[in-house]
Amino acid sequence: MSLKSFSRARAVHLMLVYTGGCNGCDIEIVNCVLSPKFDAEQYKVFLTWNPREADVLVVTGPVTRFNEEPLKKIYEAIPEPKAVVAAGACALMGGVYKNIHGDIPSEEIMGPVENIIPVDAKVPGCAVRPQDILSGVVAALPKLLNAD
Amino acid sequence: MSYITILYSVLAVIATLILAIVIGMLLPGIERKYVQARIQQRIGPPVTSPGIMAPIKFFFKENVMPNSPVPGLYKSLPIICFIVVILILLALMPQIYSFGAFTSIIAIIGFLKVEEVAYVLMGALSKSVMSLGLPFPDIVKGATHPNVERSYIEDLSSNRAFRLIAFGSFPLYLALFIPVAITGSVFLGDIVAFQQANGPFILTLGGAIGTIVFFIGYMILLNEYPFAILKTKADVIEGPYMEYASKYRSFVYLTRGFLMFTLGALFSVLFIGIPPNIFSWGILVNIAVAIIFPVLMGIMSAFSPVFTYKQFYPVVVSTSLLGVLAIVIGLLI
Amino acid sequence: MTEEKKSKKQEVIETEVALGTVHPAALEPYRVRLFVEDEIVKDAEITIGVNHRGIERIMEGLPVEKANALTEKVCGICSNAHIWNSVLVAEKGLQIEIPERANYIRIITEELERLHSHFLYLAHGSEVLGQETFSMRAFYLRETAMELLRMIGGNRVQYGVSIIGGVRPRCELNEMRIQKIAEGMETIEEGLLKFADRFVSDPMIMSRITGVGQISKKDAKRLEVTGPSLRATGVAQDLRTTMKEYEPFDFDVITQDDGDVKSNILMRALEIPESVKIIRQAIKNIPEGPIVDRSWEMFDCDMIQSYIEVPRGTLYHSYGIEDGRLRGSIIRTPSMSNIGAMQYACIGNHVTDAQLCIVQCDPCFTCTDRAIEIIDSNSSNSSNNSNNTNIINISNSSTNNSNINGNSNGNESNIANINGSSNNNAINDNISNISN
Repeated sequence: MSLKSFSRARAVHLMLVYTGGCNGCDIEIVNCVLSPKFDAEQYKVFLTWNPREADVLVVTGPVTRFNEEPLKKIYEAIPEPKAVVAAGACALMGGVYKNIHGDIPSEEIMGPVENIIPVDAKVPGCAVRPQDILSGVVAALPKLLNAD
Repeated sequence: MSYITILYSVLAVIATLILAIVIGMLLPGIERKYVQARIQQRIGPPVTSPGIMAPIKFFFKENVMPNSPVPGLYKSLPIICFIVVILILLALMPQIYSFGAFTSIIAIIGFLKVEEVAYVLMGALSKSVMSLGLPFPDIVKGATHPNVERSYIEDLSSNRAFRLIAFGSFPLYLALFIPVAITGSVFLGDIVAFQQANGPFILTLGGAIGTIVFFIGYMILLNEYPFAILKTKADVIEGPYMEYASKYRSFVYLTRGFLMFTLGALFSVLFIGIPPNIFSWGILVNIAVAIIFPVLMGIMSAFSPVFTYKQFYPVVVSTSLLGVLAIVIGLLI
Repeated sequence: MTEEKKSKKQEVIETEVALGTVHPAALEPYRVRLFVEDEIVKDAEITIGVNHRGIERIMEGLPVEKANALTEKVCGICSNAHIWNSVLVAEKGLQIEIPERANYIRIITEELERLHSHFLYLAHGSEVLGQETFSMRAFYLRETAMELLRMIGGNRVQYGVSIIGGVRPRCELNEMRIQKIAEGMETIEEGLLKFADRFVSDPMIMSRITGVGQISKKDAKRLEVTGPSLRATGVAQDLRTTMKEYEPFDFDVITQDDGDVKSNILMRALEIPESVKIIRQAIKNIPEGPIVDRSWEMFDCDMIQSYIEVPRGTLYHSYGIEDGRLRGSIIRTPSMSNIGAMQYACIGNHVTDAQLCIVQCDPCFTCTDRAIEIIDSNSSNSSNNSNNTNIINISNSSTNNSNINGNSNGNESNIANINGSSNNNAINDNISNISN
């Protein structure tokens, strides 16, 4: 393993973007980072709020109309290599908000996240469990490690 | 001086610098893992992650152009800071004491000022995506004050850095003048020689008070919680460092750890009388001081919220008064 | 009164600092514009609408049971409160008497939810203060409540306990579960006492929060503050005292005097033992019997309204039933009426304290963003005409007398009009926005 991937595996900076979910996933993710019970830092995952510092972008929520542009901007601000983890049912397929009436899609929802930015790992659940978030970040790691 | 002495001096200086960088890289990890994580009852990150692996990782990231009116200057600032810290450490080494004014307290204060001015410039030059950069139609029908000038959050932290220059650095500078008051000389060589003859200042009353003042000043200069108003998460997110990516961010990380070691070495020169020199056992004292200070700082910051000016001013004023008291004691005794 | 004076001083504003929509202290997406002079906030404006998902529109025309389950998705923090109130609406309209045991289980779930919401408040408040250690401690204590909720409902968030006629069979409390709840209450009470002791005896924290973001009793009434934020200003108003569901339980209404961040934090810390008290009474006196009554019949009914007290204040749900389907749903969450207070509390404080002043009212903008149009009565002089009608803009003067006008049919009911003065154009814009 080269020094490059060795160091990347040992300091992962995580950024969260909430795009209009119900707060359930959001609080669970904050819980997974801040609660001593889960403590993401022991897995070398650090929380940051600065896109320039981030490696992994965790997106929750179905991406409402006013969140689409900010999400794109933040994604563009992250330097390569980067990975995106979509967490929660809303981020994966729009959740209950997107397609509740069968074929009639909701006007408000621009998501799922895949429509807006490329997604590398998907974490299912409504709401996601903190453990699943960590495994989702780990699942996205190979992309970071193998990048130039 | 013979040829061999010069060679030895150069070797000693380089070896001490390398040692300082290695210890400096370990310090953030020690602070995070063994102090804060322990207080917070969690396992915490590996010691190497925050200080060593993170800068290496950032070094290999894509070099994006910072969003700044003067990208060149903005990018050069962390490197300038890093060089300044190296200069401070050089000035502390006994091999350099023959250079005269370069190794005086005045020069060190000048270098530390550069560090502080850099924060002002960094804040003013950074235009991050995180506040106004996020497109959001907030000035809509019915918005209050639609025609006000809008500023980025980093402008706020630039203002704060400017204020900190005005009052925040008092404790540290007063503490630096306590040995001067006792010794009567601004040259580090004289201060070290005086202490080696008469015992370390830390054991005298003035020096003991000075230690407290120095420690508060150390925390303010490093912008650690509770004195982190420059880069508090509650409003300015990361403040002046917002736009640094890749190599420049790794310099920011390195500078912080290195500055921790350098200020520790400064303390051991001024108050214990042991300069950093890899060829003497005294280097162990330097390392011990450099580790004890971040540990104490970690304990302080784990137990304190961020101070606004309402709390900041009284702390600075009372520590400055303590510093003045220590100087007066130093002059009298 | 004082507030009007404050907002008239418009000429001195130096600059504007916009925080959001992604911000570490806010967590939720919203934009707050702070009008700053010398780092002191002179005026503040919270712009929400980022989270608008149109959930009331989605609920329109769904079978009542399905729509009830959907109300959980309004909010991931107080999800049980939403489904409970929505079920109460149906039960009120269809005149269903639920078994006593079911009511007890609902109360236990609701109080557990209050516990985790209040712990979240303490944790988030500490995080915004910059006190990471206390934040982690509060999150750690919160885990106990979360695990108990998972045990009852089967999921850490959105447990779906209430259904029309009672509670879901999977939420039956057997001996083992009651035992576990009792143990959890011990842990929470003990941990909270230690936490609160440490919190109030910390001079640095106390100097940060005392006197910051003060709202007087009079202002709180004028701004229509609700829930714990109102009680922290000294008004003993708690809907739980009048709800018939809470009749068997004995608890005190906690009030504080000052209305600043300190009172708000103490308020939540002191409400936790009260919730523990209610849960203890509930598990001690829980009656035997069935937990669900399925013998009800569906019939049409007009708009039915229900108010309950949830962790953040008063929650209002209302809808009518037609052919077993839901018509004209309106949800009004407590954060809606607290927005005015959040903006008001910011004024006169340091920028670093501004987020704290918002957090002190326990905002949940994710709940609050639904199809709502709020029309500012002073909007005639605004310069910027935007077509984004879903954006909610409340200026400080516009929440003076908040009343909710909801029409009972169709799409129009999605519009809650706060501030009385109705602007027909804006409403029509919004309707077209929803229906096209």
